[in-house]
Amino acid sequence: MFGLIQPFTDVNHSFFGFLNQGPLTLTIFLHTVIVLPMIWIYFSEKKKLKK
Amino acid sequence: MANENENLSVWTSISFWRRSAAWVTGFAVILLIWLTFDTMGQISMGTDADLQKAVAEGKEINRVPAPTVINYHIDYKMSKTRGHEVPVIGAKEPFFGKEWSPKEAAALLHLGKLTVQAKNCMNCHTLLGNGAYYAPDLTKAWLDPAWQKGGPMQAMTNTGTTEEAMAKFLQNPSQYPTHARMMPNLGITAQEAKGVVAFLKHMSSIDTNGFPRNFSKTVEQFKTGGTNAH
Repeated sequence: MFGLIQPFTDVNHSFFGFLNQGPLTLTIFLHTVIVLPMIWIYFSEKKKLKK
Repeated sequence: MANENENLSVWTSISFWRRSAAWVTGFAVILLIWLTFDTMGQISMGTDADLQKAVAEGKEINRVPAPTVINYHIDYKMSKTRGHEVPVIGAKEPFFGKEWSPKEAAALLHLGKLTVQAKNCMNCHTLLGNGAYYAPDLTKAWLDPAWQKGGPMQAMTNTGTTEEAMAKFLQNPSQYPTHARMMPNLGITAQEAKGVVAFLKHMSSIDTNGFPRNFSKTVEQFKTGGTNAH
């Protein structure tokens, strides 16, 4: 699909090799692990402020 | 009270930004430490057993093969799946007329590395992406057709093999007109020259993900603007 997921061709298999196989995989991963917790922090702060 | 609640904004809350910054910084620290250890596996040198297995099975096991790779023919071939050239370790071939044991090969490679450092090759050349571009990139120098059979370097140095041509040249580089900026004589001894050639041969067998890009392009390909890269 749009070259997003390509077959793993790296010599040494590693998690980072897997992340770097397509043009967007690393970006999506980093956004997921950074932005999702920030959304959670946002709502927990909102709850705190309301109190 | 209702009015105050409406004005409450998380975006202006210091605590929100502090927690977010702590998360991003903490995650980045863990990621970088993890990445460091992950890289160790990619750059560690393989053993002679790994190399024999790789040759027998015809598939790459280590990015950096054992020093005994100097006993094998090294080719550079386009890999369709990876989209760039990869070193292909082929059949055995004598290096300076003999087969080197793992111990001898490691010692020779070590001498070569020390010589490359002592003579400061990187002051002009590039090795594995480090160094300068005043002189040619040496990462894949061993595979350069100019040094192979039928190339001008063996004729110029009056030798019959790539390693002998390189060793002879290295001992007296200012004698051979190879480049617009000729290499100066660095006082490399015969034994040191052998070491440097072993170092160069080993370096050419390292899988560098196709770096330097388009190394194997021929003059004809350059003229037509063609490329092997996909």
